[in-house]
This record gives sequence, structure tokens and C-alpha cells, in this order.
Amino acid sequence: MAGRTRRSTPPDSRSSDDRLVDHQAIDRLADELLPALMAKLGASGLGEVEVREGNWKVRLRRPDAGVEAAGAPRRRSGDRPSRAQPGHAGHGHAPAAVETHKSGRDGKAMSSGNGAHPEPREAPQPSSPGARRAVATSPAVGIFNGRSDLRPGAWVRAGDRLGAVDVLGVPQEVVAPVDGVLGVNLVESGDAVEYGQELVLIELAGVTSGGGHGTPAAEP
Amino acid sequence: MFRKVLIANRGEIALRILRAARSLGMEAVVAYSEADRESLPVQLADEAICIGPADARRSYLSAPAMISAAIVTGCDAIHPGYGFLSEDEGFAEVVRAHDLAFIGPPPEVLDRFASKESTRRLLGGFGLPTIPGSDGLLRDEAHALEEADRIGFPVLLKPSAGGGGKGMRMVRSPRELEAAITICRSEARAAFGDDSLYMEKWLDDNRHVEVQVAVDRYGHGVHLGERDCSVQRRHQKIVEEAPTPALSPAARAELSEHAIRAVLAAGYENVGTLEFLVDREGNFYFIEINCRIQVEHPVTEMLTGIDLVATQIRIAAGEPLGLTQSEIVPRGHAIEFRINAEDAGADFRPQAGLVERFMSPGGPGVRVDTHVYAGYEVPPYYDSLLAKLIVWGPDRPTAIARSRVALDELLVDGLITNVPIHQALLANEAFLEGRMTTNLLDRVGGAAFLAAAART
Repeated sequence: MAGRTRRSTPPDSRSSDDRLVDHQAIDRLADELLPALMAKLGASGLGEVEVREGNWKVRLRRPDAGVEAAGAPRRRSGDRPSRAQPGHAGHGHAPAAVETHKSGRDGKAMSSGNGAHPEPREAPQPSSPGARRAVATSPAVGIFNGRSDLRPGAWVRAGDRLGAVDVLGVPQEVVAPVDGVLGVNLVESGDAVEYGQELVLIELAGVTSGGGHGTPAAEP
Repeated sequence: MFRKVLIANRGEIALRILRAARSLGMEAVVAYSEADRESLPVQLADEAICIGPADARRSYLSAPAMISAAIVTGCDAIHPGYGFLSEDEGFAEVVRAHDLAFIGPPPEVLDRFASKESTRRLLGGFGLPTIPGSDGLLRDEAHALEEADRIGFPVLLKPSAGGGGKGMRMVRSPRELEAAITICRSEARAAFGDDSLYMEKWLDDNRHVEVQVAVDRYGHGVHLGERDCSVQRRHQKIVEEAPTPALSPAARAELSEHAIRAVLAAGYENVGTLEFLVDREGNFYFIEINCRIQVEHPVTEMLTGIDLVATQIRIAAGEPLGLTQSEIVPRGHAIEFRINAEDAGADFRPQAGLVERFMSPGGPGVRVDTHVYAGYEVPPYYDSLLAKLIVWGPDRPTAIARSRVALDELLVDGLITNVPIHQALLANEAFLEGRMTTNLLDRVGGAAFLAAAART
């Protein structure tokens, strides 16, 4: 998730008190505002959401909404690519695709059958009451291995490792996109998975339980 | 033969490979990026697997993603198509290390032909003419003059450290030579920190002609004739045809026989293409070899009736070619038009977006290879090729007449395409008389070319 937290004024000549205030603000934004914004972005179908609070502005953009991927290298005849390096895939993959439940993006995993699109899987509905969810998706094509010490119901924080996808012997981490409570694994350990496939459900924090977390930003 | 092949490419060539694999009784898995989820090959495949995001470096150019996809879907071979990983000897090597077959030349053959310079020396040693040039670097003005006299004016001065056309200078006469060398040296010193120069013969108004070959693992090979790819814009081919109008039947046979003899001697394997420049007098000079299936391969298929992609797969599986030279009898004339999503009136700028309506032409001798359908959204991340229209006729005038009808029938709504350029070409005198050279379009530019055709 391409989240950016930015101060509107230049960060010059700040006192240590200012810095402390800033750090607290960043912590609060990361803990409370971000999960709520992610859910909102997922439910809205928008490409980008921005919220201002005091001096701070938080902008969230869907990984596939930007245009930064334009200009993929074109091959000219006569060019030879550099030697392929085994064992490196999916560097810097944004782990968090907050559930978008657009049928076109629904994880169509290794569909079988002659030309038939599989029925779109019933996507978790972030907008339904009390069921705000995010999904950890696969960073690569390979074999999924879940963490055996994590069971449904466990509390995880954004960035926690939930398992890995093994690509030619090199594990690519699967991480929690948001703070929340682990739901069911959508695939078993040892299953072949494709890039972007939904792997693990997470019930969003700050929505299903109050638990010391502030209320999400007001509905639009 | 293989059981199941991973198609490591996209667009029309992914579909072309899918068809070849199926006709050989193999299953096929299409590997696709997130941007190609709705593409036709993904919809038509037995299986499809998402390997990465739109950025080709993390999908179509990612060797680990491709190999991992092949392994988890139980494939025993990978077809790389053209572009992307198709001539990457490192990829071919890693594919083999994972007990998968690479459908193309073996890695050591790719390695042997990886450098243009050493390939020219290698094949030149086996009798292919290369562009005449100075014997090594130019020592001084006297040496340069001596070499220019031997090669014949006009000549091209080239910085030894250069690339991409930088610092090159064409010299027409001995009088210009001294000044040109001084300027060229200072430009080369400024651009590359090295002022050493060499000299090549300048080929004015040249044609681009290439020879298709197929060689099996047992050293048995054939040529499948030549293709003329002179119609280009900025060194990119947009129309290819065979036979070439530039050479007599005897000269064409000589070119193809030279080509197959040289690659057999050099130990080439699988299908490949040798590219040549042909000058006004009909002399041909070898430039480079393409160790893969090419975009314009259907032109040869239309003339010979041989499925080149199936041939490529069978050779990679270790089958003997099963063809002798005398069994290959090219018939008639074929022209391929690359239908690109680009605006010829605006510097050939590529276009992306929704294809609102799409209708393919038909009739005798008309073939369309495309991944496009009405409702398909052309992603902005890859090349602009939408379709290949290939038209065959018993002779060139018939092929041209059928091409006009087919281009008029072809309908692509929602995007700007280069169809008007093709239509203008079919009204261009130089093209109709078979006199087109590689600078036909670039000499005037796309917009002027269209305007000129509109006036006639």
C-alpha cells in the first residue's frame, strides 16, 4: 500500500518537543487512522483517499491505481538482457491489497476448464456490518507456507509475518496488511499459489472491537 | 514430445503458441501479469497463472517467476515467444537447471551468438559477407584515405567506443575526409572519452532482407526462404513480405543458401533468422541473427505451409526436422501488416485504452493473428502491437489488391491505429513498384507520409 504521511509545513528548526509531538502523531495515525482508511479505500472502489488532520495529511493509494508502472522496458532488436538471476522475485512487493471486491480483480487462481472463467469467489464484504476485513495476498508465484504458530483469532499488527511463498527455494514473506485478528487461511500450507492470490483473512482492528483504539474516521 | 508447456509471453504470440501447442496435442499454461488478466490467451488457455504485477521486470522479464510458475503447474517446457526472455542465455540455462526444456536454441548456442560483433566475425568466417570496413582502427589521415579508397566512397566514420549512432559521420569524397576525421575524433572524445575511429562502407537506400532457417539437434537444417522487412519506422518493422521484390530468384536462392550453409557450419540449432542489408546493386551484407521465433514468421508460413512454431517446439523436444530442402516449395506472395495502437500523425505515439468494436477481415488468403476483441482494454505497459494481418495471393499484385480490401474491412474502434499508414503505403509508388527502402517512412515522417497519400 503506497501510504504517505506528510507534514504540510517544512520540517525546519524544530525543537525536540516538536519532534516528540510529531512522533506521537505518526504513531496515532499509523495505529488508528490507517486501518480505517484502508478499509474505506477497499470498500469505496476509489483509487486514492486523502485525509487532513491538523498539520498532517495522509494519502493512501491502491498499488494498482498509479501510473508508475508505465514505460516497462522495451526490447530493441540487438539488445541482450542481462543474465537472469535465479531466486529473486517480487522485490518490494506491496503486501497489502486491501480487499477491493471488484470481480475483475478477484483472485482467479489457476483456473481449469476450457476457456471458462471460474465463478467469482464470494469476496469478503468490507461494507457489511461488523465484517470489515482485509486480505493478505501472495507476493509471488510459488508454494505457500503458513506460520504454524499462528491460529485464527490471533492478534496481528500490520507488517507481521504470516508465512511465506517459496519461489525456487527463496521464501517471499507474506505480511499482514493491517492490524487485526486473524481469520481463516484461504489456502493450505503446501498449496501452489499465484501472484496476488488471497491467502489469509484479517478482521480489521478498531472496527470489530473498541479495545483502546480510537474510532475510525467519520463516514463520508 | 512435451506434455505441458508454459507460455512465458503475452499478446498475439501467446495465443499463437497456445494454438501450436494444442495442435501438437500438448496442454498449455499461460503465464500472465496483472495487467493481462482479461487478455484472450488467458481466457482461452487450459490454465492461466498470474506471475506478477504489470511491470514487466517483475513478471514477463522475471526468470524466477516464470520458472516457479512452470514448476507449480507441472509443466515440462517453457516457450518464451519473442522479446522478453526469449534470447536470454542465462534464463535458458536456469530453465535447464530446473529440469525444464527451453523452447529455443540451447543456452550454449544462445551464448555463442549473443554478441553482434563476434557473431559477424564467426559467420563471416563461414562465408557470409559483412559490411566492408577498415582493417581495425584508423591510424591517421593517410591510413584513412588508403582504407576509404579500398572500400569505396561514400564511407561511414564510426567511433570505436560508440553506440546508438552517436558520433558517426558519412563522408562522400576524399576532400571531405580530413575535416570529418578531426570533427569525428573530437566528438568521440567528448562523448566516450576515446577518439579511436574505424570506417565502414556507407549503404545508401538499403533494403532489409532476412532469411528464415530451421536446424535440428542432429545438424540437419533447411532455409525457408527470405522476407523483405524494408518498411520500417525508426528501425521498427511495420510491413514484411516475401518474396523480396529487391532480388531476382537466382539472387534470393544464393542469399538463402549462403545463410543456411553458414549457420550449419557455426553449429546453430532450432529456428532462427539471419538479417541482411541489401544495397542498390543487390549486394547483401550480414548484420545479425535472431535466435527466436519472429513477429513476422507467418509470412513464411503462408508461403511454405509449414507451422514454424510447431517446428520450433518439435526441434526443442529433440525430434529430427523431418524436412528436406527440396520439400520446401514457397508458393505465391504474402504481406504482413503490423496493426499497432499508435498515432502516426503524432510521432507514432502509442495508444492505450478500450477497444470498443473489433472486426477481423476475411476471405481467401487472409489471416489475422490477434489477442484483441471488442471490450478488451489495451494496457499501457507493453508494446503497441494489436494484430498482425497477413495476406496471401498467387502473386504480388493480387496480394496487394487483397490487402486493400482486408485493411478496409478491419475495424478497430476506440483507439487510434496505424491502419492509415498501411493504406497510404498501398498507394505509395515506391512500395507498389517494390522499390521501398528502410528510410521510406522516416525520410518524411508519419504525418507527411499520410498527407502525401491523401493528395494522390
